[in-house]
Amino acid sequence: MQVLCCDDDFECWRSQARQLLAQNVPPHDVVWEDERIPQLFAAEPAPAYAATASTHRVPAELLGQLKSAARYRTPGRWNLLYRILWRVVRGERQAMLAGDPDGSEMHRRIKSASREAHHLHAFLRFHPLPADEQLDYVAWHEPAHDILASASMHFAERLGRQRWLIATPRDGVWFDGKQLHYRQPCPPEWLARAEAVRGKDDALWETYYASIFNPARLNRKVMQGHMPLRFWKGLTEGKLIPVLLSQARAGSQKDGQAVGVAGKTGKVIRLMKDRVAAGGPATTQALSNHSSTGDS
Amino acid sequence: MELIEKLTILADAAKYDASCASSGAPKRSSKGKDGIGATNGMGICHSYTPDGRCVSLLKILLTNFCLYDCQYCVNRRSSDVPRARFMPEEVVKLTLDFYQRNYVSGLFLSSGIIQSPDYTMEQLIRVARLLRKEHQFRGYIHLKTIPEADPALIEEAGRYADRLSVNIELPSPDSLIRLAPEKQIGSITGAMGTIDSASNESRADKRAPKFAPGGQSTQMIVGADASDDSRILHTAESLYGDYRLRRVYYSAFSPIPNSPASVPFQAPPLLREHRLYQADFLLRSYGFKAGELIGAQGNLPLDIDPKLAWALVNRAQFPVDLNLAEPAMIARIPGIGIRTAQRIVSLRRLKRIRFEDLVRMRCVIDKARPFIITSDYRPRQDTVESSQLRRQLSDQPAQMALWA
Repeated sequence: MQVLCCDDDFECWRSQARQLLAQNVPPHDVVWEDERIPQLFAAEPAPAYAATASTHRVPAELLGQLKSAARYRTPGRWNLLYRILWRVVRGERQAMLAGDPDGSEMHRRIKSASREAHHLHAFLRFHPLPADEQLDYVAWHEPAHDILASASMHFAERLGRQRWLIATPRDGVWFDGKQLHYRQPCPPEWLARAEAVRGKDDALWETYYASIFNPARLNRKVMQGHMPLRFWKGLTEGKLIPVLLSQARAGSQKDGQAVGVAGKTGKVIRLMKDRVAAGGPATTQALSNHSSTGDS
Repeated sequence: MELIEKLTILADAAKYDASCASSGAPKRSSKGKDGIGATNGMGICHSYTPDGRCVSLLKILLTNFCLYDCQYCVNRRSSDVPRARFMPEEVVKLTLDFYQRNYVSGLFLSSGIIQSPDYTMEQLIRVARLLRKEHQFRGYIHLKTIPEADPALIEEAGRYADRLSVNIELPSPDSLIRLAPEKQIGSITGAMGTIDSASNESRADKRAPKFAPGGQSTQMIVGADASDDSRILHTAESLYGDYRLRRVYYSAFSPIPNSPASVPFQAPPLLREHRLYQADFLLRSYGFKAGELIGAQGNLPLDIDPKLAWALVNRAQFPVDLNLAEPAMIARIPGIGIRTAQRIVSLRRLKRIRFEDLVRMRCVIDKARPFIITSDYRPRQDTVESSQLRRQLSDQPAQMALWA
């Protein structure tokens, strides 16, 4: 049994896997550990398999899928990927399809990782740094999978030449206005800058969030299904959610109006023609007697 | 009035428009350019409110002063609501700020009718023009179209907006006359026609400026009048056909403050709305016709989804052999979606489909079971009566009551 470690780096795993394939090492004779841990027993001499001279053809589609699935964090994530690779290069192409037990698991991981990239695009919050000369925006985010490097370019497309930084517990990216710089682990000075803005309020956004919510349609389950609880603490609106939920249950659910609006003085609008006995401005006249147009 | 107070009022006033979609725009990027904003056709939900709705755009009214008196609308002139009006520059500032902080992917701007339809439309266009021209904003813009506005203004709006929408409001012209006395079905469909032909012309000539590339959508209010689901779905189907609408949104009528006697003061019919969206999806993506899903009158069942309902009255077409059937027929099986149908088709090129394959592909097995044949499975329930199957498979729904 060979014990390997690739530091959760796809390119490293790829070159290890290429070598193993060339030596004809079957999946049950190799295991990837998540960290380099000293082995209790000295590595056994690997059983010698007859190496094949021919190079293995890996479908381009599979390579992309393995790369995507590798972003999914789970103990022993590399073992499944090698087993699928092994099966496919030996002609068992169904191993990469969703109907296969291995393929199904790979597709589940791809889906989860891509969902997590989407969560980054959706739930990351940038804080402006108006006084800073080197940086326009900074953000803190806690993704569940290794998607930061592959999914961050999205923000360069959104923000043009602005300079921004994203720090996570594992890694970080910095866009200097022209290029993206990726670091793993996240440098301490990046972490410090992100830490400084965590949990900052934003009155305008919180106002908007509370006002656009319709208490008559209260549906916590759907909200939570789309926006998992773990993200709430990173969102300034997160702290409003329990308040809005309980206000809705305590009576504001009777109609759609936001609590902040209900207390204000209202204003009924009276048309000119009602206010002036006759001869109101032409605009009002035009509104109150439509000539029929179109195909009615 | 402070900006924050205006935002409180004008976001509250805008919430009854269901759409918050930022999808369908062409790919645009600001990478390496002045200005900000990108679209990729997909749309992003940046947050969800406790009603389970997606927050994708800054959705506000320019003003909720309104000369119209539509009974179902919280902003009708006879409603005693607080009123406010944004300056176009204020909307621009809010949009850019919210966009850069990654709260939203763009703007959905609508307005009450002030002074005249043309004047109102001009104000909406002014905001979009400022964003696109002065600030080189490449994010998503959805503009509400005022149906009575000059067609030339509608055409100008389409040069800045990704999506335009004209709300049909109510499924029947009679209800519109009764509940929205200032609106006319003719001007609504007229504006839809203007948008459709302008977008046609722009597509036909590649050098022509793009016109509302995200297409047009509309909204129908469900439950404010007595129209049934058959009427609603048939109306939607003809709108999809006549004006090539990208989406029809269904908005369960929410009780409004100071509710007039002409509209119900009841909890919004959310489950009914949900079934309409499911049926609408079957129209748009599965090739169903409205007439297959519902008769000339009546409502969709609430206890089962419309695809299952269709299958139960068409038992003669089932069970379907997954190893032989046409892909389109596989997608018509309850519990099997379009993506799974595609996966089944690619898998069966390599091997015979077995029952366990469906479990792995995460079909809704309980729903699919009575309707399928695989190489190792044939439904025992094939002979079970539809009425009995329906009892087994119903969701046992409960419409939420208002003060439960």
